[in-house]
Amino acid sequence: MKLAELLPALHELPRVDKFRAVQFLTAELAQAEDELSSGTQYPVWSPYGAHDAAATLTQYLLEQTQNQ
Amino acid sequence: MPARFPYLPLASGRGDASLMPLVPLELKFKNSQIVQAHGLLDSGATVSVLPYGLGVRLGAVWEAQTTRVTLAGNLAAQEARALLVQARVGDVGPVSLVFAWTRAENVPLLLGQVNFFEEFDVCFHRSRRQFEVEPARK
Repeated sequence: MKLAELLPALHELPRVDKFRAVQFLTAELAQAEDELSSGTQYPVWSPYGAHDAAATLTQYLLEQTQNQ
Repeated sequence: MPARFPYLPLASGRGDASLMPLVPLELKFKNSQIVQAHGLLDSGATVSVLPYGLGVRLGAVWEAQTTRVTLAGNLAAQEARALLVQARVGDVGPVSLVFAWTRAENVPLLLGQVNFFEEFDVCFHRSRRQFEVEPARK
């Protein structure tokens, strides 16, 4: 179907359905843009704020490089 | 001159949205064979993270690495051990990089503040889809 054929039908829609159509198209475009889906969990692996780990690894690095 | 690398797509068919700063590395643990890998430059990560399988490919033995590391976020549930690896980036190296070697498999190789960003200066040019890496000027 072409847009020119669709426009008269969209024009006839009640106001609330026009908003729904806009929301639908916006969601479609967003999904096509980055493939993120509503309700899906996406893991974030980065260890932000792992300061204890950073201190442990810094000490380990120091010990290991001194022993080399 | 800093080494220049292109942003690489993490997933096909998603255009520029999936481009990430993945730097090619040569990794070596003790006297084992060199393993080539791509690491995600993650300036928000406090530490660098090595996935379990890559550590095994490098010849590391889990039980022999006795320094335990407690990670944050999604990785907190997985046990991790400290591991020292020699790394080359382009013509630079070998440089000693310390990793939190996690039991997790499905995690990318993450290059974080300790100690990748202490050893290398990185300049991101996302709009030009490239980044530059050079030895840190300490």
